[in-house]
Formats: sequence, structure tokens, C-alpha cells
Amino acid sequence: MLDVNDLHIEIEDSIIPETVVHDFDIIMHPGEIVGIVGESGSGKSMSALAIAGLLSRKDMKKKGRILFEGEELLTASRSRLREIQGDDIGIIFQEPMTSLNPVKKVGWQIEEALRIHRNLSDDELKSAAIAMMKDVEIPDAERLYNYYPHELSGGLRQRVMIAAALICDPKLLIADEPTTALDVTIQAQIIELLKRINHERNTAILFISHDLSVVRSLCSRVLVMNKGRIVESGPVDEVFEHPGEEYTKNLIHAIPKFQKIATAIDNHDSKPILEVKNVSARYKKITGYFQPGKKQRDVVKSASFTMNEGEIVGLVGESGCGKTTLGKTILGMLDDTDGEIVHYSNMPQMIFQDPYGSLNPSKTIGWILEEPLRINGKYTPNERYERAKKMLGLVGLDESYLSRKPKALSGGQRQRVCIALALMLEPRLIIADEPVSALDVTVQEQVINLLIKLNRELGIAILFISHDLKVVYELCSRIIVMKDGRIVEQGTDDEIYNDPKDPYTKQLLSSAGYAK
Amino acid sequence: MKTIIKKIITFIVTVLLVTLFVFIAFELIPGDAATARLGINATPEALMALREEMGLTRPFFIRYFSWLGSFFFGDMGISYSYGVSVRSMLASKLPITLTLTLISFIMVVAISIPIGVFSSKYEDRPGIKIIDVAGQLTMSVPPFFLGIIVTYVFGMLLHLFVPGGFVSYDVDFGKFLSYLFFPAVAIALPKAAMSTKLLKTSILSERKLDYVRTAFSRGNSTMDVMYKHVLKNAIIPVITFLGMTLADIVAGSLVIEQVFSIPGYGRLLISSIANRDYPVVQAIIAIIAMIVIVINLIVDILYQILDPRMREGR
Repeated sequence: MLDVNDLHIEIEDSIIPETVVHDFDIIMHPGEIVGIVGESGSGKSMSALAIAGLLSRKDMKKKGRILFEGEELLTASRSRLREIQGDDIGIIFQEPMTSLNPVKKVGWQIEEALRIHRNLSDDELKSAAIAMMKDVEIPDAERLYNYYPHELSGGLRQRVMIAAALICDPKLLIADEPTTALDVTIQAQIIELLKRINHERNTAILFISHDLSVVRSLCSRVLVMNKGRIVESGPVDEVFEHPGEEYTKNLIHAIPKFQKIATAIDNHDSKPILEVKNVSARYKKITGYFQPGKKQRDVVKSASFTMNEGEIVGLVGESGCGKTTLGKTILGMLDDTDGEIVHYSNMPQMIFQDPYGSLNPSKTIGWILEEPLRINGKYTPNERYERAKKMLGLVGLDESYLSRKPKALSGGQRQRVCIALALMLEPRLIIADEPVSALDVTVQEQVINLLIKLNRELGIAILFISHDLKVVYELCSRIIVMKDGRIVEQGTDDEIYNDPKDPYTKQLLSSAGYAK
Repeated sequence: MKTIIKKIITFIVTVLLVTLFVFIAFELIPGDAATARLGINATPEALMALREEMGLTRPFFIRYFSWLGSFFFGDMGISYSYGVSVRSMLASKLPITLTLTLISFIMVVAISIPIGVFSSKYEDRPGIKIIDVAGQLTMSVPPFFLGIIVTYVFGMLLHLFVPGGFVSYDVDFGKFLSYLFFPAVAIALPKAAMSTKLLKTSILSERKLDYVRTAFSRGNSTMDVMYKHVLKNAIIPVITFLGMTLADIVAGSLVIEQVFSIPGYGRLLISSIANRDYPVVQAIIAIIAMIVIVINLIVDILYQILDPRMREGR
């Protein structure tokens, strides 16, 4: 059905042309699910977009052959491509919020491909859309038909995307990281949905992901890409069980898989470093000139826990459960809070999720690192410089980085800089808010190892906020589970993973694929 | 419903504050209506008598609230200078200023939306730079100067209209419009250039967003992606700008009326300030303030229609 041969994609920059995809080959049969895995920048999305005919930038040169149903797509006219797009080839993207038009009703967007490719009346369009919505398990389809994307949850939005891509019953569905932006429980549901669609409609799926475990559970064959090349391909089990290439081995090795990397330093009789007693927190919403900020729903509801010196505690929960808010509350970043927070050491520091957005792009790394000391005011320029150099050394970067700007750094290096920044005031406790979820698996592993090293060598306690139970398992000795603003369960790693009491904890563990 | 009540309260408070400021301003500047009418050589007794007669000796707030009270019932008082009712004076001039404003605004929209879409579509063609440069040039010229240029080029050189001439709307509506056309050009061009640039930038940044790729993936043509997807999103920031522009045009037309000798609110306002003719000045400013607030109200409502994210949750 699909036969891609020797595909090259080159970006013609004004300075140096860069080939982003080399010798890409793929053959897909009707009803087959093939996965493409690779880290960011490996060219996997590029290849998929090229197949879907969506790489039309003028500065891109494409060579090779893309045969779809025996027809050459690479040299096909725009008008011919448009006939295929949305009709024979459907595509879903990573971020369902930004991939949907915010000012159009979801029903309208689901119908769109049908409106373009078939000649149907408005009533026929609507009934087709509602039937499709029901098929992808969108509850209350008649009502939600008139909703706008921002009124739906992330999982529902991705279902809308899937419904819109499937409405013309395409032969091929390209899914570009469709579950990456979703919570684990939702992820599992979307994967199930894709499996069912593939089974019932015999739709072939080209599934692109950086998440190897998801690919393994869904696909029959897999292609591994690195730096624009396919390094290995074959049936999933074969590739995963007996990887031939070094790169694939590293990739598989780096997948978090409920294995302890290291235990935290012994903390049996150590002193407490943080006590959180009955803390509630909420955000104020400014409603008008004359009314004071209305009382909002509590985002964190009477949370209590303690942390000891040198302990690594995991705070897990799905998006919107209040875990980040709790972290911010501990740091005193919110105004409207109740309860008591006792710090037994100097103020903790925070590391944020997105290392791309957290560093001021116009300043050098040195300037950024020295900033907390500059604000503090008690340090001489030389002390500041020495401290910045020392902290960079601790996170594994040398002095030369001090004069660089964030743009020149990779994601992993940036996150190291963020960690160094958190260390500048020599805190005894670091709050790490999803510090690895924006990073590739191999880089994730390096950052986790760095955090463990800081914990062991400097005895820094870490409150590790994450949605990923596998990562949490790797380094945390105690776990706190949050749901809807409440702490539903807390205990040692062994208690939480092997003897969960709360049904929600059990559900999280089963979605994450944990088996005792 | 709650938002509407809030808007009405804002409306009333703004009108109160604006008119109060005008009252205070007249208190502070030297000279009053009595001196303006009798001249600087009048005897103090004559002045006192006239002040008594005009009610100027009453305390400030009494005067303000009695004016306000009658204003809301449509009675704007009697002009000190002309001795006729302010309402009748303004009623005959309102259509002139409103028409000028409206023509200018329609020009802004009619010029900026097509050119904005066009210049974003062919953004990478070299010729499109000319539009950018022309826009930049127009933007930097103040309207009154543009008015002088327009008068010179279209009036004196091309003889398309008679500079300084004017035909009232009740005499010949067609001619009336043709005399307003060129002043409107002078008002509209700089605003249109700004709005074009804003729309272009907005379209260019919208086009990079993910939903545009999704729209292409469903087989939309470039035209359809622009008109069915991008434009409705890109227009949202432009609407805010157009609202502010409309308010600005109302104020800007006062200056242009002076340049083109159009007997609208602008000329009346300037002569009335010189004559200390409070009732006329008060009424004009209150009406302009009300027009501006109503425009803002319309923009807010438009905003909610265009952007579902601004609406109240269901």
C-alpha cells in the first residue's frame, strides 16, 4: 500500500544545506501498524509529514520515491495531493489543543474532511460526525458537537482529532506522537482506541513516538531512527529483544522500566527538612473592577507530609492534580494559602519542566547563574564567578559554557544549567517539577543520574514531582500520590508499588504497566 | 447578563467622570462665559448681573448636577454665544461628523483587510516590500499634514474637489459625500497602514500554528486554509485595534474638519472653547465620550462572538 524508497529531505539553509532525512525506506501493507521511534531531531516526524504531503516549505528539497497505492506522491501536483489528504491519508498530531482550530466548533472540524471530499448535505455531515464521535467513544456526542476545543479535556480533544482524521475512512492513519501530551491513564485509553480502529476498519497506522514501550504494545513492526537515518528495523519483539545496533541498545536500555537506579542515602534517623501541615492553596481570579478576587476552588486541599534531610520523595499524579501548585506553595510563590509550612534549612530551590522556556534567551549562562547571588548582594563579582564555575562543574559542564547563550545548548545541557542555577544558593532541598518529561529518554537517564549524584554526594533532599511512575520508581524512596488536590496515599516505594491501598494508585500503576 | 450590567455601570461612571473633568477644566482656566460675552471692557456690575442671570454664581456642584440632570433628559441648555438651544445646534452637525467618521472607518477596514491578507500571502515576494515601505511612510505622517497634502494634490492640482467648499447633506447628499471623501482619506490612510501591518503580522504568526497544518492535512486548499481557518483567528487582535482606531477617528476628525473647513463638531467645539460656551462644549464632549464607550462596548461583544474562549463557561 505504501512504499517509500530512498527518501531524502534536505533543508536549504542560506548558509549550509542540511540533510535531515537520509535513505528513508518503508513498506506498509493494508491494516498493518508500523512504528517509528527515535529521539527528537531524528527525522521521524519529517519523514511522516513528507509521506502525508505536508512538507511544502519552499526551502526543502525532497528526493526519492513515495508510492501510495501505486501512485507517486512526491512529484504529484498540489491538487492531486489535496484529494488524497484527509481522504485516503489521515493524520493526528501530538498536541491536540494547538492542532485544533480554537475558534471553530469541534463538530465543524470533524466534518471538515468529509465536506471537502464528499458531496453531502449539512444533515448528512452532522449525522456522520456524530456517529464518528460515538465510535471514538466521545460521550454525549450530540452536545459536544457544538463545543469548542478549549471546553474539552486533553483526552477528549485527542479523540476529536482521531474522529476528524478517520471521518473519510482513510487507508492510512499517520499518528505523530499522539499520546505524548496526555496522562498515562488517558494514554492507555487512546492506544486501546487505535488498536480497535485498526482491527475494525483495517486502517493501516504509521505510529511515530519517542516512547518505546507504547510502540512495543501497539505496533507489529518498528523502525528505529537516529540523526535522519533508519538504523534498524524489523518485527517489534525481535528489535526489542535482540537489538542489533548500539544505538537501539542504548535507547532500549534508557527506557525507564521500574528498576531502581540507586537508593537514596540512608536517612533513618536524619532530621526533618520540611514539614507541610494541612496546606491548602488556590489561585485568585480577578473578575471585575468592583469585586475583589473571587474565592476560587482549592487546587491543593489540606496536604500534609514531611521530608527528611537527604531524602528523595516522589510526588505523583496526573495533570491538574495540584502537584505543581503544591510545589509552588512550599516555595511561597502563592499568596492565597492556608496551613503551615516549616522549613528547617534555607529556602529550597526549584527546577522546572521546560528547560527551553526557563532560561532567558538573551543572557549568557554565566549571567543567568550569577543572578541569584547578584540579587542577594553579598557576593563580589569574583565570588559569583567562582560559584557559577563550581556549580557548572557539579552538573558536568565546563567553564566555557559560562559565556554561551541558552540557544547554543541542547535540551539536556539546558536542564543541567537549570539544576546548576538551583544549586547556586546552596539549598538543602530542591523541588524538581517534571525535570525530565520534556527530554529524550537517553537524556532523561543522564539527568536522573545527575540528580542521584547530587543527592549522594551533597546530601541534597529532592522533592521529585512527576507524572511518570517509572521514573519515580528509579530514584525515589518515598512516594506521595495526589489526585484532585488531595494526597490520596503516601508511603515507602515498596508500600506504594507493591501494596497500594487507594484504588487510584492501583489504577495509575496498571496504566503505567507495573507488574509486581 | 451580569457582564451587560457591568458594562452599563462602566458606561455611566465614565460619562460622569468625563463631564466632571470638563466642568473642572472650565473652572480652572481664566475668564468665564460672562466676560466672553461682554468683552474685557465690561463694568464689574454688568458682569455680576449677567453671571447672576446665567446662574454662574451658584456653587460648582449645583451647577454640575443641574446640567447633568437636564442633559440626561435631552435638554442641553442654551448656547451662551448664539442664544439658541444647544440640542438644535448639535443635531444639525451630528450627521456631518458621524458620516465623516464612518466613511473614514469603512476606508480603514476596506483598505487594510485585503492588503493585509494579500501582503501576508505574498510575503516572500520582493515586490511586497513596496507595500511595507508605503505603509511605514503613511503611518509616520500626521493626519492634519496628510490633509494639507491631500488638499493640494486632489484639490489644487487635480481639481477633484474645491478646497474649502462644502455642501450640506440636506442640500445634495451625493455632493456631501464627495466633499467628505478626501478628508476621510486623510484620516483613514495612517490608520489603515497600521491596521494592515498588524493584520499581516497576525496572519504570519497564526500561519505557523499547528492547527494550520491540521487544516492542510484534511485536503484544504491554501485559499480555504486562509479564509476558513487563519483569518478568523488572525482578525481577533485586529478587532481590538480597530475599536481603538474608531474611537481615535472620532477625535481625529475634529482636527481634519478644521483643515478642510467642514462645519462639523470639530469647528464648533474649537469656537465654543474660545467663547467659553460651556453648554456647547459640555454637550459635545459628553456625546463624543458616549460614542467612544459605545464603540468599546461593540468591540467587546464582537470579541466574544469571534473568540469562543472569551465567552463565559457553560
